[in-house]
Amino acid sequence: MAEERWREDFPVRWDEDNYMTRRELAKFLTLGSGLLAGVNVLIAIIGLTRGAPAPPVRRIAAADEVAPGGSLLFRYPTDDDPCILVRDPSGGLAAFSQVCTHLSCAIVHRPGEHTLACPCHKGSFSASDGRPLAGPPTRWLPRIVVEQRGSDLVATGIEV
Amino acid sequence: METRQQGSTLFSAVLVLIAILVVIQLWLVAAAVDALLSRQMAVLVPTTIASGVLFALSGGLLWYVVSFDARLRHWSRRG
Repeated sequence: MAEERWREDFPVRWDEDNYMTRRELAKFLTLGSGLLAGVNVLIAIIGLTRGAPAPPVRRIAAADEVAPGGSLLFRYPTDDDPCILVRDPSGGLAAFSQVCTHLSCAIVHRPGEHTLACPCHKGSFSASDGRPLAGPPTRWLPRIVVEQRGSDLVATGIEV
Repeated sequence: METRQQGSTLFSAVLVLIAILVVIQLWLVAAAVDALLSRQMAVLVPTTIASGVLFALSGGLLWYVVSFDARLRHWSRRG
C-alpha cells in the first residue's frame, strides 16, 4: 500500500522516534539509581557537616504565672512555633506544640477534662503526655522540655 | 549455551528487579530527607549505605544482563 501523501512532507515516525528498548530502559533506571544514591550521599554530607543545632533556651514565663489547672501559650523554638504550657491540678507542668498532628490546627486546653482539644476535627490529646485520645490524630504532640530556673520557667528542647 | 528466549526472559526479569530497587531507593531518599529535617542524624549514614548497596546491585544486574546478551550474540555469530 502506498504511503499517504502527507508522509512525504512530514516523514517523522513518532512511534519509532519514541520507541525505547528494554536495554535503554534498564540503563536509564540504573542511571536513576546512581543519581538517587548520589542524592543520599549529599543529604548525609549536609546532615553530618551541619550537625544538629543545639535547641535554644528560652524563657516562657514566671513560675507562678500559671495556676494549677491553667495553661499558657508561648512560642518555641522560634516565634513561628506556637506551644502550650499546661499545669495539672496537682501542680505538675507539661508543655506541647500547639499544632495538631492531624491537619495543623491550633489546639486548646480543656481544664475540666485535662485534655488538649483540636476544634477543627474534634481531635483530643492527653494534657499529661500528649498522646492522642480521640478523633483523627494518630501521632503524639511534640513535647517541649520545660525546666524551672530560679523563679522562671524555661524551654530547653523538643522531644518528637 | 544461552538461547535468545532465555536472554529475553532474563532481560525482562532484570528490568523489573532494577525498577523495584529504584523504588526502594526513592523511599530511602524520602526517609533521609525526613530524618534531616527532624535532625535525626543517626539515620543518614545507614540510608546512604543502603542506597549505595542498591545502586551497586542495579549496576551488577545491568552488567550481568548486558554480558549475557554479548555472549548470546557471540554464540549466534559462531553458530
